[in-house]
Amino acid sequence: MSMNNKKLLIVEDDLVLQKALSEYLTMEGFEVRCAGDGEVGVQMAFEDKPDLILLDIVLPKKDGYAVLTEVRADERTKHVPIVLLTNLGSISDVEKALELGATTYLVKADYKLEEVTAKIKEILSIK
Amino acid sequence: MFRDKISDEFNLRKQADELGVRVWQTPSFLFIVMGIIIIAAMTGVYIASVHYDSPEVVVISESVVVVLLLVIGNSIITTVEEVAKSNKMKSEFVSIASHQLKTPISEMKWQIELLVSKFFDGLSEKQIEIINEIAHSGEKMGRLINDLLDVARIDQGQLALAKEKINFCTIVEKAMESHQVFAKASNVEMAMTCNLKMLEVFADKRRINVVLDNLISNAIKYIDGGGKVDVLVENIDGFAQFCIRDNGVGVPRADQNSLCEKFFRSNNSIKNQTDGTGLGLYISKNIIEQSGGKLWFKSIENVGSEFYFSLPIVEEQKKGLDEIV
Repeated sequence: MSMNNKKLLIVEDDLVLQKALSEYLTMEGFEVRCAGDGEVGVQMAFEDKPDLILLDIVLPKKDGYAVLTEVRADERTKHVPIVLLTNLGSISDVEKALELGATTYLVKADYKLEEVTAKIKEILSIK
Repeated sequence: MFRDKISDEFNLRKQADELGVRVWQTPSFLFIVMGIIIIAAMTGVYIASVHYDSPEVVVISESVVVVLLLVIGNSIITTVEEVAKSNKMKSEFVSIASHQLKTPISEMKWQIELLVSKFFDGLSEKQIEIINEIAHSGEKMGRLINDLLDVARIDQGQLALAKEKINFCTIVEKAMESHQVFAKASNVEMAMTCNLKMLEVFADKRRINVVLDNLISNAIKYIDGGGKVDVLVENIDGFAQFCIRDNGVGVPRADQNSLCEKFFRSNNSIKNQTDGTGLGLYISKNIIEQSGGKLWFKSIENVGSEFYFSLPIVEEQKKGLDEIV
């Protein structure tokens, strides 16, 4: 399945992770854009209307929960799948995120880039 | 056994070390003091009532005793509170430190993966081999952090388990498969018998995998120079029972009671040749017990071990399975 023209938005403040993820996904054929904080993340989500958002929870300016709430509340982006990237991994964090409308979540330290990519492809092909 | 327990109870120095308080603050010491004061007080009140006819003296001496007991009782409560608080802080520290460590580990893992999967042109075989070894070390570190986090969650009573329907034989089969390479390298033959293919349990799949990983890798790891590992899955009284039998070095009798304790490693003959943190069985036992099952073992040194755990079978399946069995 071709991933051409599938736009992804990565909202992640850790630049090393952001770069590794975006380079990998670009080489997998996605069109990738990145935001380093929650405020820019929301703005880019509204402007770019990505096909999927990868969202960190702990972020400067606006945390992942706030981004999630705003993106879900807006007509333009309310159906965009959102994959949470976290290292928190406690059930209460995950439950909160899923309640707020996240599609699924991944614990960064436990997942390979290959597995993250597989998850993205799975969600996009179901959609 | 009983004598050991009693002498442990009165080993004040050991208790003070374990709880991280001074000897005079240990609950056992304070209880002894309290006992002595009660006996002294009763004797005192008795003597006072015999020698003095006035009720005031008896009342005053009783009041003094009550105040003394209140003071001691209060210091027992304070000590217990202090111990509880410091334990909580310790667990919180482990939990925060582990979370912080997870970020650099994810960074390392993802960069290495990016390098070997997308930018490997120009790298020599030797370079790729070294990079893979670095990746392997990173994974080991990641697993250790996950174990520490799990221990912290267990200690804080916050190990949250998901409940999902799992086909028990399939999950066991997969776990066995993932250890095939390790078994082959250790010259260990593995076999599995699953009596009921449709056996389903309600548990947290990821956590049950952790338990299976621990038990299967232990069985292989503690076989010295080749041997056999047999796995048997059956339905026993409404529980799915997993049994893994090995002909490894076994657990010395003296260590068997402590085997599932936190950070405990048995003093078997190949302890120093094997990796281990002493957390695997502690975590596994807690996961299984919190899932409504049990974990236990039988072992004879230099003969082998059998580790068992059971999990409740999905309710609507029980009747059907009984009919088949």
